[in-house]
Amino acid sequence: MKLKEVDRTAMQAWSPAQNHPIYLATGTSAQQLDATFSTNASLEIFELDLSDPSLDMKSCATFSSSHRYHKLIWGPHKMDSKGNISGVLIAGGENGNIILYDPSKIIAGDKEVVIAQNDKHTGPVRALDVNIFQTNLVASGANESEIYIWDLNNFATPMTPGAKTQPLEDISCIAWNRQVQHILASASPSGRATVWDLRKNEPIIKVSDHNNRMHCSGLAWHPEVATQMVLASEDDRLPVVQVWDLRFASTPLRVLENHARGILAIAWSMADPELLLSCGKDAKILCSNPNTGEVLYELPTNTQWCFDIQWCPRNPAVLSAASFDGRISVYSIMGGSTDGLRQKQADKLSSSFGNLDPFGTGQPLPPLQIPQQAAQHSIVLPLKKPPKWIRRPIGASFSFGGKLVTFENVKVQSQQGAELQQHVFISQVVTEKEFLSRSDQLQQVVQSQGFVNYCQKKIDASQSDFEKNVWSFLKVNFEDDSRGKYLQLLGYSKEDLGKKIALALNKVDGPNVHIKEEKQESEFLPSAGGPFNISISGDIDGLITQALLTGNFESAVDLCLHDNRMADAIILAIAGGQELLARTQKKYFAKSQSKITRLITAVVMKNWKEIVESCDLKNWREALAAVLTYAKPDEFSALCDLLGTRLESEGDSLLQTQACLCYICAGNVEKLVACWTKAQDGNNPLSLQDLIEKVVILRKAVQLTQAMDTNTVGVLLAEKMSQYANLLAAQGSIAAALAFLPESTNQPNIVQLRDRLRRAQGEPVPGQESPQVPYERQQLPKGRPGPIADHTQIPRVPTQQYYPHGENPPPPGFLMHGNVNPNVAAAQLSTSPGHMHTQVPPYPQPQPYQPVQQYSFGTGGSATYRPQQPAAPSASNAYPNTPYIPSAPSYSGQSQLYAAQHQVSPPTSSPTASLPPLPSSGASFQHGGPGAPPSSAYALPPGTTGTLPAASELPASQRTENQSVQDQANMLEGPQNGWNDPPALNRVPKKKKMPENFMPPVPITSPIMNPMGDPQSQMLQQPSAPGPLSNQASFPQPHLSGGQPSFHGLQQPLGQPGMPPSFSKPNIEGAPGGPIGNTIQHVQALPAEKITKKPIPDDANKRLEFLYDKLREQTLSPTIINGLHNIARSIETRNYSEGLTIHTHIVSTSNFSETSAFMPVLKVVLTQANKLGV
Amino acid sequence: MVSVINTVDTSHEDMIHDAQMDYYGTRLATCSSDRSVKIFDVRNGGQILIADLRGHEGPVWQVAWAHPMYGNILASCSYDRKVIIWKEENGTWEKTHEHTGHDSSVNSVCWAPHDYGLILACGSSDGAISLLTYTGEGQWDVKKINNAHTIGCNAVSWAPAVVPGSLIDQPSGQKPNYIKKFASGGCDNLIKLWKEEEDGQWKEEQKLEAHSDWVRDVAWAPSIGLPTSTIASCSQDGRVFVWTCDDASSNTWSPKLLHKFNDVVWHVSWSITANILAVSGGDNKVTLWKESVDGQWVCISDVNKGQGSVSASVTESQQNEQ
Repeated sequence: MKLKEVDRTAMQAWSPAQNHPIYLATGTSAQQLDATFSTNASLEIFELDLSDPSLDMKSCATFSSSHRYHKLIWGPHKMDSKGNISGVLIAGGENGNIILYDPSKIIAGDKEVVIAQNDKHTGPVRALDVNIFQTNLVASGANESEIYIWDLNNFATPMTPGAKTQPLEDISCIAWNRQVQHILASASPSGRATVWDLRKNEPIIKVSDHNNRMHCSGLAWHPEVATQMVLASEDDRLPVVQVWDLRFASTPLRVLENHARGILAIAWSMADPELLLSCGKDAKILCSNPNTGEVLYELPTNTQWCFDIQWCPRNPAVLSAASFDGRISVYSIMGGSTDGLRQKQADKLSSSFGNLDPFGTGQPLPPLQIPQQAAQHSIVLPLKKPPKWIRRPIGASFSFGGKLVTFENVKVQSQQGAELQQHVFISQVVTEKEFLSRSDQLQQVVQSQGFVNYCQKKIDASQSDFEKNVWSFLKVNFEDDSRGKYLQLLGYSKEDLGKKIALALNKVDGPNVHIKEEKQESEFLPSAGGPFNISISGDIDGLITQALLTGNFESAVDLCLHDNRMADAIILAIAGGQELLARTQKKYFAKSQSKITRLITAVVMKNWKEIVESCDLKNWREALAAVLTYAKPDEFSALCDLLGTRLESEGDSLLQTQACLCYICAGNVEKLVACWTKAQDGNNPLSLQDLIEKVVILRKAVQLTQAMDTNTVGVLLAEKMSQYANLLAAQGSIAAALAFLPESTNQPNIVQLRDRLRRAQGEPVPGQESPQVPYERQQLPKGRPGPIADHTQIPRVPTQQYYPHGENPPPPGFLMHGNVNPNVAAAQLSTSPGHMHTQVPPYPQPQPYQPVQQYSFGTGGSATYRPQQPAAPSASNAYPNTPYIPSAPSYSGQSQLYAAQHQVSPPTSSPTASLPPLPSSGASFQHGGPGAPPSSAYALPPGTTGTLPAASELPASQRTENQSVQDQANMLEGPQNGWNDPPALNRVPKKKKMPENFMPPVPITSPIMNPMGDPQSQMLQQPSAPGPLSNQASFPQPHLSGGQPSFHGLQQPLGQPGMPPSFSKPNIEGAPGGPIGNTIQHVQALPAEKITKKPIPDDANKRLEFLYDKLREQTLSPTIINGLHNIARSIETRNYSEGLTIHTHIVSTSNFSETSAFMPVLKVVLTQANKLGV
Repeated sequence: MVSVINTVDTSHEDMIHDAQMDYYGTRLATCSSDRSVKIFDVRNGGQILIADLRGHEGPVWQVAWAHPMYGNILASCSYDRKVIIWKEENGTWEKTHEHTGHDSSVNSVCWAPHDYGLILACGSSDGAISLLTYTGEGQWDVKKINNAHTIGCNAVSWAPAVVPGSLIDQPSGQKPNYIKKFASGGCDNLIKLWKEEEDGQWKEEQKLEAHSDWVRDVAWAPSIGLPTSTIASCSQDGRVFVWTCDDASSNTWSPKLLHKFNDVVWHVSWSITANILAVSGGDNKVTLWKESVDGQWVCISDVNKGQGSVSASVTESQQNEQ
C-alpha cells in the first residue's frame, strides 16, 4: 500500500535505524533528466510522518547542490544512541567525487553542510556502502575497478581492499558482509562478483556465472548467513536473482526467475531475511523469499520502472522506490485499505506540470509513459506470509490467582536438529511472603482459638505503644473480668487505687476521697448516737427538728440545704424517699462547685452519656474508665462507641487513632475498620494485614463476649475483607482467600469473587462443562415480541445465569462454607432476595442479554414457586434474632411482578401472599391441565387458636408411626424437587426439623439447565443447607402438557382412587380426642376402602402424615388449622364440595410452603370422595 | 517467588504467539503460527486438550476469553485478516462468528469489560480498529475506526469499567452510565485513547507520544478502586512506559519510563491487582516489575521458564528489606 509520494527524480537514502524521526534524503540523480531538462541538483530531506494520513511527505530541508548523484547513502557515523547527531550523508558524484554531508546541518538550513569531499575516484561513483560494524568505514566503487575504503575519521587517504581486479571494469555494486566485518563484496556489470578479505588485503573468491550473461545491477549479503549473497542481473535475457553460497561457489544455490525483464535494483530486508525486494524493467516490484524463491508479494505500482529501491531501516514494513517517471514512492508491505487515505488529486498532479512549461508552448507536457491507472484498488493485500517482525516470539500474561502464563519460542538443539519447544508454562507468582505467612498464622489462630496467645505474641512484637495498646485491648476481650482489665490498661488498677486511698485516708482527708469520706461519715453518724436532745428552738436547727417531727422531710431538707448542711440534707432526703433524694441530689450538685462534682454527678445520676459527650477529650481515658466501671452492659457498647466517635470527629490525629481503642471496647468492628483505614495507608498489603488481624480477632471476641450475630458484615468491612481476599488470591492463596471472604453478605463483588475463587480452586464444574449460560438464549428477549416489562429485574438475570448451578448452586451453596447454623442459613436465604434487588446488580448488563428464554423455560417453575417467598418470614420467625425479615417481602413483590409478566400466575397476589398464584399453579400441577382460577375469597370465621395438642398428647405408638411416615413424607418432597424423577420410594429418610424442609427458596431461581442432575443426591449431600432443594424445586415444565412423565409421581396415586385406606388404620384411630386428633380422625375416617379396591400408594399417606406432624408440632398457622377444622366438618357431613371450596380458600390465602406438602393430597381425597359420593 | 506449577506441552507445530487463561484460571488457550487455536483444561496441574480449533488460514496472533457470564467464548485473530469467535456449546467448541472486515493482519483482540455487554475490539495492520458488538440472534454489529494507526495497529486494551462519579449516585435499576474507553498502540509509534461518544461513535480522545518506534503492546491496568488510571506500553524501541492519569477530568497523562531494554519489548501484562507488570522482551526474557514506595519501578524478578527456577534479583531483596 502506498503511503507517501514525492515527485523527484532522485537517488534516495533512509536515515539510519537509530534515527527518530525517520527521514528520507533524496539527491538528484545523475544521468537522468526530467521534463524540465534542468541540470540543477539538490539534496533534500523529507520526514516520514505516518500520523499524517496524506500522501505528501513533509519536506524538512533543501540544499542546492552543484552535484548530481549516482549513489546516496546515510550512515550512522558519530550518532549517539539518542540520535542527536543524525549521522553522515555520503554521496557518490559524477566526477569521481565522494561528498560527506551533515544532515543535521541541512535540516537546520546551514549553508556549510559539507563535512568533507574527496575526488580520488576517476569516474562516477556508483557504489557505496557503510560497514555496519564500524560505521566509520565506507566502501566505494567506481570505474576502472577502483574500490576504496574510507575512514570517515581520516577521510583524506582511502585504503584499497587489494589489487584491482583485472580486466578493469566498472564497479556497479559494493556491499559489506552483514556478519563478518572485514569481508566486502563488489560486483560489476560484467557479471563478476569479487569477495575481499580486508585483513588479507586481497580478493578471496570470485563468483561468476559461466554463461557470462549476468549483468550485475545488485548485490546483497544475506542478513544472517555470512556465506550467502545474492546477485541481480539487469540483462533482459537473464532477468534473474542468483543466490550464492560461498561454501559452494561454483554454481548459484538458487536462481529466482520472477521477473520478465532485467532487474534494476534489489534490497534485502535486515528485519526479515526472507524478504528480498527486487524491481525490474518489467515495471514490477516483487518481494520474494530468496531462501525458497517464492514470490510473497507484488507491490501494486504503476507501469514505470524503478531504478532504486530501499527498505526503511527503522520501520521494517516500509520501503521506498524511485521510478523513472520522476517519483519516489513510499510503500508499506502490510497491505491495508487506501480508502481512508487521501489520494493525491489528479488535478494536483497535472497542475504541477502546468508550471513546468520549458518550451513555452502553453501545453504542459504529458507525463511520460504513464497510462493513467485503472480504478485504484482500494484494498491492498499484505504479504503472503507474515514478516518476522510481527511474529511475537514471547509472552507473559497474568491470570487469576497470581498465575503467570509464559511461553517462548526457543530453538532447542536436539539430534534431529533445531526444534521448537512448544511449551507453555504456568507459574505461581508470590510477591508478599510476609503477608502470606501472617495470614497463615491468623488462620491457624482462628481455627485453634488460641486468641490470647496470639494477642500476647502481637503485644510482644509490637513496635509502637499504640499497637501494643490495641493488642492489649483485644487480648482483654478473651480474658475474664474484661472490664477490670480494660481499666488496668487505662491505668486504673483497683488494687492500686485501694492502696492509694488507704494511704490518703491515713494521712489527711484530701479532696480525693471526698466520696468515701461522705459515705463513711454517713455510716458512722447513726452509730455514734447516744442520748440526745431534740431541740425545737426557733433557729434553723429548731425548724429542722420541727419539720422532722412533723414528718415534713422536704422542708427539713430545704432548710438543711439553705443552711448549707449538705450532709444533713442528703441523709434526710434518703429517709424522705427516692424522689426527694433525687431532687436533693440535684440541688446539691447545683450548689456544689467542686472540680469533681460533675464526675460525682454522673456517678450518682448514672448519666454517663453526659460524661462521654462533654468531657474534655484529653480525658478520654478517664471517661472510658468511668464507662468501663459503671456502665450497664446494655449501654456499655453504645457509650464506648460514642466516645470513639467523638475522638474521631473532634480529636487531633493522635486522639483519632485512640478512638480505635474505644471501638475495640465497644466491639464495633465496622467503626474500627473505618477509623483504622483513615489512619493507615490502605494499599500496602501488610497494613491491610494489620487491620484484618485486628478485625478478625475483634470479631471473634465480640462473638464470644456479646453473643452478637457477627455474621453480619458491614459494607466497609466487607470491602476490606474482599480486598484482603483479593490480595490473598493474587498471591495464589485461593483457599485462604475463600476462608476470609465474609460468608453472609450478598454484596455482588463478594459473591462474584467467591464464585471465582471456588472455580479457580479447580472444583469440578457442575454439569460437565455444559454451558450454564446458553447465550443463544440470552438473545431471545430481542426476538420476543413481549417487551420486558420492568427493567429493575434485569440485573438479576445475569446473576442467575452467571453463577454456577449444579451440585452446589452457589447462593445456597456458599452457606456450606464454614460453620453454618440453620439460623444463619435461614437469615441468609430470606435476606438475599432483598439484597439482590436493592443493591447494585453484580452484572448490570444491557437488556439484550437477558436470558428470558431460560426463564420461560423454567417460568412455570419459578412462577409456581414464587409464592413460597412469603414463607421467608415464617421461617425466619422461628429464629427471632434474624434481622432480615423485612427484606423478604420486597423480593416476593418482585417475584410477583416477574411472574405476572410471564402471565403464568394470576396477577392477584400481594407480596405477603394473601393470594399468591398458588391456586392456579397448584391446581395445574394436580390436574396436569390448565390451572383452575382461584375461587373467590371465602370469609371463614376466624379460628380458635391454641387448640393444638402438644405432640406428647399423641400416643407414643402413633408418634413413632408418624415419625416413619414423616420420613416418607420427606421423600415425597423428592418428586416435587425433581419433577422428572420418578418417585424413588426408598430415599434415605432424613430426620430434620420441619422448618428446614421449608426453607424459603433462595432468591435466584437457578436456571434449570440441569434438571436431570439428581436433586435427591444433592439433598443427601447437603442436609444442612436445604436452600438448594427449594431452589431446585422449581418445576421445569409444569406448563407442558407433554411433561407427563414428571407427573407420574403424583398422578398415579391420584389416578388410583384408593388412597384413603390408610386413614382408617386402626392404630391411628387411637389418636386422642383433641381438636386436632378429631381432625385427623375425621379425615382418616373417610371410608376410603369404599372408594377403591386398589391399595393406596404410600405417597398420599406420607403426605397426610406430614400434615399430622405439622398439626402435632403446632407449626401451622391458625388460619390453616381453622380451615382444616372446617374441612373436617364438611367431611363429616359428606359435603365434599364445600370441603373443596374451603380447601381452595386455604390454599389461596395461606403460605404455599406451609401447605404445599399436604394440601394437594387433601384435595385429591376430597375430589375423589366427592366424585364417588362415599 | 515465581515457580512453575504446570508445564503444558501444546504440541503446536509452529511458533506459539499467545497463551491466555480464562477468567477462573482453569483453562488455557494457545494460538500458533500453525494456524490453530488450542484449549486445555489445566486444573490441578494437569493438561487435557479440550479443543483444537481450526479455521484460520494464517498464523493466529492472539486469543481472548470473554467473561464467563456470556458462556465460554474465545476470540482469536490472525494474519489471515480474520477474527473468529469460538463458543462452547454442549461441551464442544465451534466457530460462532467470523469477522472479515479487515484488509490486513489482525494483530490484537480484546473484550470490553463485561458490564458493557459482549464487545470485542480488534486492531489490524490495515491501520483500522473494529468494534464488534453482539446484538443478539447471532448478529454482530461492526463499527470501524479507519486510520487509527497508519501502517497498523498492534494492540488494543480496554479501560476498566468505571462509572464517572460514584456508584452510589447511580439511580438503582438503571443501566449505569459507563464511559467506554480503550487504548491502542500502533506502528505510528503512538498510543491513542478512544472514547465512545454519546452518539455511539468512537472518537480519538488522546494521543500519547513517548515511544520512538512501533508500539508493540498497551495494557490498561485493572481498576483497584483508586481514581488513578494507569496504562503500560511497550515498544520496538525497547522502552516500557507506565502512563498515569490522576485526574479523569483534565485527562492529562504523564509517562514514566519503567525501563529501557536492549531489544524489542513485545508484551506487557498487569496482574489482577494491578501492582505487578510482567514484561516480555525480545531477548526471550520475562521480567516482573513493581512500583516501590517512592514511586520507582523496580524489577522484582526474572522469570526463567525453561528451568522452572527463578533468579530473584537484587532489587527483590531490597524490597523485602523495606
